[in-house]
Amino acid sequence: MSGVTDESGIESDSATRASGNGSLTDARISFKRWLVKTSRNPYVTFTSLVQPIIFFVLMAEVLGAIAGGAISQSVSSGVSYVTYLTPAIIIQSALAAAAVSGIGLVDDMETGMFDKTLISPMHRSAMFVGKMLSEVVRITVQTGIILVLGYLLLSVKSGASVDHYLQTGLFGVVGIFVVAIVFGGVFMAYSNIVALVTRDREATVMIANLLTFPLLFISSAFLPLEVLPGWIQAVAVVNPITYGVDGIRALMLGQDVMSVFEVTAFTGFWNTVIPAVGVLLAFNVVLGAIAVGLLKRASKAEVQ
Amino acid sequence: MGSSASQAAIDAEDVHVTYDDGTEAVQGVSLNVDKGEFFGFLGPNGAGKTTTIKTLVTLLSPTQGSVRINGYDTKTDPQAVRESIGYMAQETSIDFELTPRENLRIACQMYGVPRDEREERIEDLLELVDLRDVADKRAETFSGGMQKRLDTATVLVHRPPVVFLDEPTTGLDPEARLRVWNYFEKINDRGTTVFLTTQYLEEANELCDRLAILQDCQITHTGTPDELKSAIGTDTATLSLKDPSDQKRRQAVHVVRQLDALKAATIEQTAEGLIIEADNVRSAVGDLFTELAAADITITDFDVQSPTLDDVFLTLAGGSEIEENGIATETATVQEVTR
Repeated sequence: MSGVTDESGIESDSATRASGNGSLTDARISFKRWLVKTSRNPYVTFTSLVQPIIFFVLMAEVLGAIAGGAISQSVSSGVSYVTYLTPAIIIQSALAAAAVSGIGLVDDMETGMFDKTLISPMHRSAMFVGKMLSEVVRITVQTGIILVLGYLLLSVKSGASVDHYLQTGLFGVVGIFVVAIVFGGVFMAYSNIVALVTRDREATVMIANLLTFPLLFISSAFLPLEVLPGWIQAVAVVNPITYGVDGIRALMLGQDVMSVFEVTAFTGFWNTVIPAVGVLLAFNVVLGAIAVGLLKRASKAEVQ
Repeated sequence: MGSSASQAAIDAEDVHVTYDDGTEAVQGVSLNVDKGEFFGFLGPNGAGKTTTIKTLVTLLSPTQGSVRINGYDTKTDPQAVRESIGYMAQETSIDFELTPRENLRIACQMYGVPRDEREERIEDLLELVDLRDVADKRAETFSGGMQKRLDTATVLVHRPPVVFLDEPTTGLDPEARLRVWNYFEKINDRGTTVFLTTQYLEEANELCDRLAILQDCQITHTGTPDELKSAIGTDTATLSLKDPSDQKRRQAVHVVRQLDALKAATIEQTAEGLIIEADNVRSAVGDLFTELAAADITITDFDVQSPTLDDVFLTLAGGSEIEENGIATETATVQEVTR
């Protein structure tokens, strides 16, 4: 920097130039900013954690009362509905967190924070990486909470052990987080696309809410697809939720539970996990590319 | 451009900005703002003020022409420009969930302010914008004026040599506006070049060393507020005489004519006394009074009116063209009151 020190008032004012940071530092700054902002928003915690938890308990009680037969037919007998449902709730909560990702972007555009960041020396990609990372942390924390809650519910109901609840052990836990995060990426991208296209907070919230529940029901989340109507089975094939739920369910039950197509190239639960993660990654690539393209256009001038 | 260009804080040459849809929002704007200047950019809504300021701060790229800020070209060296400027958008751009101190800390981090200087700068800025007492309360609980002040502080963390303020007082109540003005003046006193857009004539008059008036996407006039005022008119002095008889009035006219400063004045006789129109009536008032007293002419009432920026604006705008926007209506009301 210039030789002028900062203490000297006017001279330094007209001589200094901000130094900026490396892109890792920029990503960390943006990450921390979003983490704090999210944690101060009670609405966010409610929709992405409290709501799925309430749902968890209610579904376990209501659907659990009748779903036993369908489940023992589809997977194996002796699997409690709580265990069967846990992956669905993990995905629901990841979906709720990811589907509102775009709101932050719209808010930043509306308040001018977006422009303010663009004209700062911050690395543009770093600021979005930071935002995505904060979402990943959210999904990780929520997934952890729901996993524990599922176990508590199960042990209260049937006194089952951890082994019974999570067939693939510690490896499975890590796998569950990975699947939840990869799944989250799909809807983060989707939500940001909606945000960038509509540039409107209400629309982004509405589309997020509109999507969350219906998509859950047209998937393998709550009941085995075999017992559901044909049209739901058809839509479930293109529904990312199916792959997220199946991937996690395979890890929890330690068996191949893929519900929309049959893969036999691998062994056991890998026949579900690998194709499920593959499909989710493909969704990520396609939607992510669209989001990045739109974002680049939004950050650049709309001039000729 | 040469060496003089690098001296300027802002140097824009024949800037054109055409949007994708074909709208030519800026058509050939050239600007030269010196370091340390408080420069005003005045114009009605839709004149192209925001487009111009966004081009200057690298948010938009000029379709034609060039912009240099602090000596750096916005097209070839945008990063250096960004490191040299602070920009306050029309919207209040702060994190409302965070406290002023947190907002400032993030801004410091974004601009890479060295860690050991951060706390001192944050305290200094909180002091400057008078938010020290509420430094740890969330900004969402603040009034609009307080939020705007916090916004002002966040654009100053890196001590930018050039600060851009886009209609910073729109929507503030008069008291809050005065207060914000005070901060802008303080910033300028610290040596910072300030570029301000406004649609308030009073604001431009109060704050700016020089102004450019933007109309229909082009700069129509540039100058100091006084230059702009004198460009369109002269001072008008109205004198009422205790004895407004023909003889006394003629005598008074004679006295006025004797004064060097008022030699070229237009003098009109009225029933009460005289109306004198000249460029510099104010400066001649002392002499005028002395001479009139010496000639035994008693004045019962005296009033000088100088043209206001409102007059400038109204004259330049030529009436009907911009009638639908706030300024024309505002000025028109002022005009009626003055008459």
